Amino acid sequence: MIALRLVRLLLVLLVVTFLSFLLLNLLPGDPTTQILGLSASEEAREQLRRELHLDDPLFSRYLSWLGGLATGDLGSSYTTSVPVTEALAERLPVTLELLIAAQVVALGLAVPIGVAAARRAGRPLDQALTALSFGLLSTPVFVLGVLLILVFAVKLQVLPATGWTPISLDLGWNLTSVLLPAITLGCAQTAVYARLLRTDLIATLQEDYITLARARGLSPRRILWRHALRPSAISLITAIGLNLGALIGGAVIIETLFGLPGVGRLIVESIFARDYLTVQGGVVLISVGYVLVNFAVDLVYVAVDPRIRRV
Amino acid sequence: MCRRLGWSFWLALGWITLVLAAAATADLLPLPRYDETLTGPPQAGPGPDHPFGTDGLGRDVLSRVVYGARVSLLVGVGAVLLGVLVGAPLGVLAGYRRRATDAIIMGVNDIALAFPALVFALAVVAFAGANLLNVLIVLGVLGVPAWVRLVRGATMVFSEREFVAAARVLGARDRTVLWREVVPNVSLPVLSYAFIGMAVAIVAEGSLAFLGLSVQAPTPTWGGLINEGRPLMENAPHVVLIPSFVMFLTVLAFNLIGDRLRAMTDVRQSNLEPVRRRTADRLPARPHDVEEGVLLQVADLRTHFTTARGVVRAVDGVSFTLERGRTLAIVGESGSGKSMLIRSVLGLTPQAGTLRGGHVYLDGQDLTELDDGQMRHILGTRLAAVFQDPMTALNPVRTIGAQVMEPLMVHLGMKRRAARARAAELLASVGIPEPARTLRRYPHQLSGGMRQRVTIAMALSCGPDILFADEPTTALDVTVQDQVLRLIQRQREERHMAVVLVSHDLSVVAEWADEVIVMYAGKVVERGPAATLFERTRMPYTEALLRAVPKLTDPAHHPLRLLPGRPPDLAHPPSGCAFHPRCPYARERCAAEEPPLFQAETPDHLYACWYPVGTGAGVVETSPEMTGASGAAEALKAAEEAEEAAELTELAGLARSPKSPESRESRESRELAEHETTDVIEGADSRGR
Repeated sequence: MIALRLVRLLLVLLVVTFLSFLLLNLLPGDPTTQILGLSASEEAREQLRRELHLDDPLFSRYLSWLGGLATGDLGSSYTTSVPVTEALAERLPVTLELLIAAQVVALGLAVPIGVAAARRAGRPLDQALTALSFGLLSTPVFVLGVLLILVFAVKLQVLPATGWTPISLDLGWNLTSVLLPAITLGCAQTAVYARLLRTDLIATLQEDYITLARARGLSPRRILWRHALRPSAISLITAIGLNLGALIGGAVIIETLFGLPGVGRLIVESIFARDYLTVQGGVVLISVGYVLVNFAVDLVYVAVDPRIRRV
Repeated sequence: MCRRLGWSFWLALGWITLVLAAAATADLLPLPRYDETLTGPPQAGPGPDHPFGTDGLGRDVLSRVVYGARVSLLVGVGAVLLGVLVGAPLGVLAGYRRRATDAIIMGVNDIALAFPALVFALAVVAFAGANLLNVLIVLGVLGVPAWVRLVRGATMVFSEREFVAAARVLGARDRTVLWREVVPNVSLPVLSYAFIGMAVAIVAEGSLAFLGLSVQAPTPTWGGLINEGRPLMENAPHVVLIPSFVMFLTVLAFNLIGDRLRAMTDVRQSNLEPVRRRTADRLPARPHDVEEGVLLQVADLRTHFTTARGVVRAVDGVSFTLERGRTLAIVGESGSGKSMLIRSVLGLTPQAGTLRGGHVYLDGQDLTELDDGQMRHILGTRLAAVFQDPMTALNPVRTIGAQVMEPLMVHLGMKRRAARARAAELLASVGIPEPARTLRRYPHQLSGGMRQRVTIAMALSCGPDILFADEPTTALDVTVQDQVLRLIQRQREERHMAVVLVSHDLSVVAEWADEVIVMYAGKVVERGPAATLFERTRMPYTEALLRAVPKLTDPAHHPLRLLPGRPPDLAHPPSGCAFHPRCPYARERCAAEEPPLFQAETPDHLYACWYPVGTGAGVVETSPEMTGASGAAEALKAAEEAEEAAELTELAGLARSPKSPESRESRESRELAEHETTDVIEGADSRGR
């Protein structure tokens, strides 16, 4: 079973890398212009194309790129000559920290909100929380980011608007610099998670085993957290995996907005610089991450719901 | 339809219409051009000349927002149209054809989902050129996988429905079936998602524009306006806030419309859901005496639900008493209020929209007066319940051990180790082999009979005084049913507890109950000691129930006797006696006046009927009053009934008299004989169902 899924995983990765390679290379735009400038002669460009193997057929270029991938070499940036793997490795921790912090914020808010709303389903608190989630869901991440900067950085001046302190330099400052971006990115997810959890919890709370738990004289709090939460978490966990795509998209914007040196910003910078290889590397990194996280999510199911173990 | 969509839907639709109209007629509106600088002082706040103020170059923000709406709405609508046109046919195909077509389409779709959509949009727009058409195409194509998945799901649901299957069987061509049956049904979910998709596309376009990768200046876009306004945030926050707010409202409006439309397609919404109320009112109870020395006394208990269709009287003035060591059976058809009576006694009715009334006394203590904490203590230690379906009675994600040990630790304050040992003893006492191993297992790893034993063990764990068993064997295999009932009765004897047994299986009731309550439409219609009630049935409903039990003496292929008619609608019960529309003996008075509970000539036997069976007032004696053909028919029927009444007495003979002392041997041999008999009866019964 696991072996079969691993084969499938590899296949998906192969297709993803090929398609992204194909797409990026079919797009108009000439990297030589970017490197040599507009005034360069046609011979010089021809020369450069040959050096960069840009003249080779697409498929053979993909194969050699894939060969490089297997040995951990994704080529070097056309503009800065920095190896792509190195550039990505340098930026990855920032993005990872942002994504994890955002998930912590999202779940930290969504679980209490979802539970509180489900427990008082249909009553004013639930209606207020549902409306709040709906509002958050309808707020574009950059709008929320700008608003939070306006309130916390410009008006209250308690958190920095931009900038990044690496974790190795100072943990406290690092957390300060990740706080506002993480809240911004997490809030949008909060709405999705809280709605899912609320719906599933309401369904679970109508199950016989919950009524019987009440019949055994257990307290509502105990029933909610120990009996109802876990069987209601499956949709939530699925959403965590599937939402990663949206989260990464959000991270690109957040990193640009808050000036964080992450993978998202690297990709945006490389796109503007027509730095194909770096963009390609970034896209592959994100796709692989997405596929792997969803693979991991499947494994988490098993821990949450023992019924799946049979399969 | 208009009311169901709610006011928020119309408000949202109004806002979208406003934005759409403004964007469409922007050139005609009395606004400065979006790129006209110094129409007023730069960075001026909202005022009469510039309702939304001006930006850093003195351009009118209102004009820029209105022209920006063009880009947002065009991209939103265009991307969704593109997505639907490509995605919907693929989705319908995958959902309708299934097999290979489905596998291929969904395989490609899964891979497409792994692409980081926004990053791709960025790259494509950057390389191919940032203009309206490119943005629209990219966002449209990126939406295709979601459309395929959605339409496929909806198609699969509908292509499984009867009317589509029927059309297929009738030989309709696939294309005809698709257009006539599937497409109309899929279109509402598609419309609902179209609005949500527009919201998504507008946000995506805004994100691209925010990064400078959408339609280029000087054409304003909402995302671009917000990005431009960022440096002015400190001095002129309105330049950022106003486009942000307009964008938020628009996205919210699209989402709301999509959400409301989806709610319309939700079949789970029926009119029977309780209407939410703020406070749970108490219904008044009739005066009554609290009886001394009785374990459980239920007095005039009522549970009503306020629903959109009216007040449902699920339990309507039920009274009974129960003594230690006795078994009380509650019988009636599905929907007669049996299960709700039990939940009501235990205080487990849903809170919202529920009206409760009456009193429940446990050893003279009124349970309805207790606060939640006190009631939980009573529930944990003195009352216990077992439900019908053991498949749903155990929490699927917790081990048997965790579930059995929990009440021991919570109510009896046992430590984990002691609780585990006690839990193993409990499992052993209900006949579960390898109790220590079973504690580590999950519910799905056990059979239905074993699970029901576990729920019984859990119910018994804190030594309850009363066990409420709500159809404990209905969901079980016939061969296991008797074992479980035997287990409950053995525990009752050992622990000297009382049992309230809800059942619609009269052979079970006849075998195990000391007293019987017959319920109809939430009311007690007959009540009495089991033997008396079966032998001298007074209420026609009870008689009908008894007659519906298949008998051994029936000839082979004898048609099953069913209760004619349907159980009453509890929101609008019939006038007078609720049973009168189905009662063969009903007369005018039955429809006009509700009969009270009469005392029968035998002690403790009560019935609610104006013309009880087998008495001077009953139909057999009064049938000569009837005239003509109907009278003859009645007479024929009466003869039939007399014959059947004899059979009923046979069945009633099965009812055990609890008072008659028996020697152990004679009882065992009798039980053995009974076992065989009831098994056959149950077999016939379950086939009948």
